[in-house]
Amino acid sequence: MLKYSFGILGIVLALTVKAQYPGFALLQNQETFKQTFNSATKNVSGIKSDFIQEKTLSMLSDKITSRGNFWFKRKNKVRMEYTHPFPYLLILNGGKIYIRDGQKENKLSASSSKIFEQVNRILLDCVGGTVLKNPDFQARVFESPGSYLIELNPVAKNLKELYQKINIFIDRKDFTAESIDMFELSGDHSSIRFFNKVLNANIPDTLFAIP
Amino acid sequence: MRIFPIRSLLYLSLVSLMMGCNSYQHLQKIRLSDQCLQKFKPAITRALYRTSVDVIGKHISGMLLIKTMPDSSTRVVFSNAMGFSFFDFGFSKGNEFKVYQIISQMDKKALIKTLRKDFELVLFRNMQEKNRFTLTDSAFIYYGFPQEKGVNYYITDKNCAGLVKMERSSKRKPVVEAVMTFNDESVPDSISIRHLNFNFSITLKKS
Repeated sequence: MLKYSFGILGIVLALTVKAQYPGFALLQNQETFKQTFNSATKNVSGIKSDFIQEKTLSMLSDKITSRGNFWFKRKNKVRMEYTHPFPYLLILNGGKIYIRDGQKENKLSASSSKIFEQVNRILLDCVGGTVLKNPDFQARVFESPGSYLIELNPVAKNLKELYQKINIFIDRKDFTAESIDMFELSGDHSSIRFFNKVLNANIPDTLFAIP
Repeated sequence: MRIFPIRSLLYLSLVSLMMGCNSYQHLQKIRLSDQCLQKFKPAITRALYRTSVDVIGKHISGMLLIKTMPDSSTRVVFSNAMGFSFFDFGFSKGNEFKVYQIISQMDKKALIKTLRKDFELVLFRNMQEKNRFTLTDSAFIYYGFPQEKGVNYYITDKNCAGLVKMERSSKRKPVVEAVMTFNDESVPDSISIRHLNFNFSITLKKS
């Protein structure tokens, strides 16, 4: 009887997971994925890409669409330049964070703002392939014929207060991030989709220079 | 079109300075309808502003969405460039106010109250006709709307050609100054709010 109960429970769980992400199934061997993901991403020294970000405000039935250009250089450099609707520049370089918003410039060190560092680390981890090593999250990996889906559930208390979960869609072909979906506790969510990706492009270090 | 000359603002500031402690002492009461103000009232269906908030040496930037909902309430949502929401406020008829969402770091009673009052001032809310009064000096008309504490003033030139500025005042002097500029008839192109008694300012720009 107990055996049947476990069997039924297993089927229910499997169906729940399937219903959660249509077309995706929970990956049974997460450890193998970790290793493959880790070695595949190490071969990517840099990424140049465009992006579209869409923030969905569920209660307002509204969307805010932003777009811009993105650069990543292994192992810890990111430049995210929004061009629409407003210019905004974010540079992550080592432990330093630089923001230019119109005429205003802001420089932060990772240690001066833990929460800011944690939020920006998500971005770096997502494109750099180090996301499964981030102790602030518990990860589950799902697969479909074309993509992997890494579901990140925050375990760090301060991140739990910000995000319900973060989903990263990984292209099976090259193991780079296709999109990042960030779900807030309010029910709103933001999705950043990368396109026109160029892998291992020659990206000068000056792009990440913090003035 | 309705941007008021800087000269006028300087004049106002000078008068305020000359009047010392009570900024409104020199003003004369007059009887005047507030019809003039209607044309300056922002009629925002949906507007997205690039936003900077500077508070006691800290700078936060992002986007502020102001949207009128089907039930005529107004929602004000502030989020960072990456889309993460800092707060979501609702203003509805009958001076009702609701915090739909706010991050824990900003969830402070005094801060919420300050933001609420600032937005009420620039969104032309709480303008009850019953207690309204009008003051004037040689150059300007002050439309005063008493609030639970203090008064919200909307200050125009005598010909009602421009809204010079808005003020939230204590009994004797302004504590908040706000200025709006318009490129079209009804949606402000920029809004700036400046607190005079501590280092806190909000700047909204459409482009």
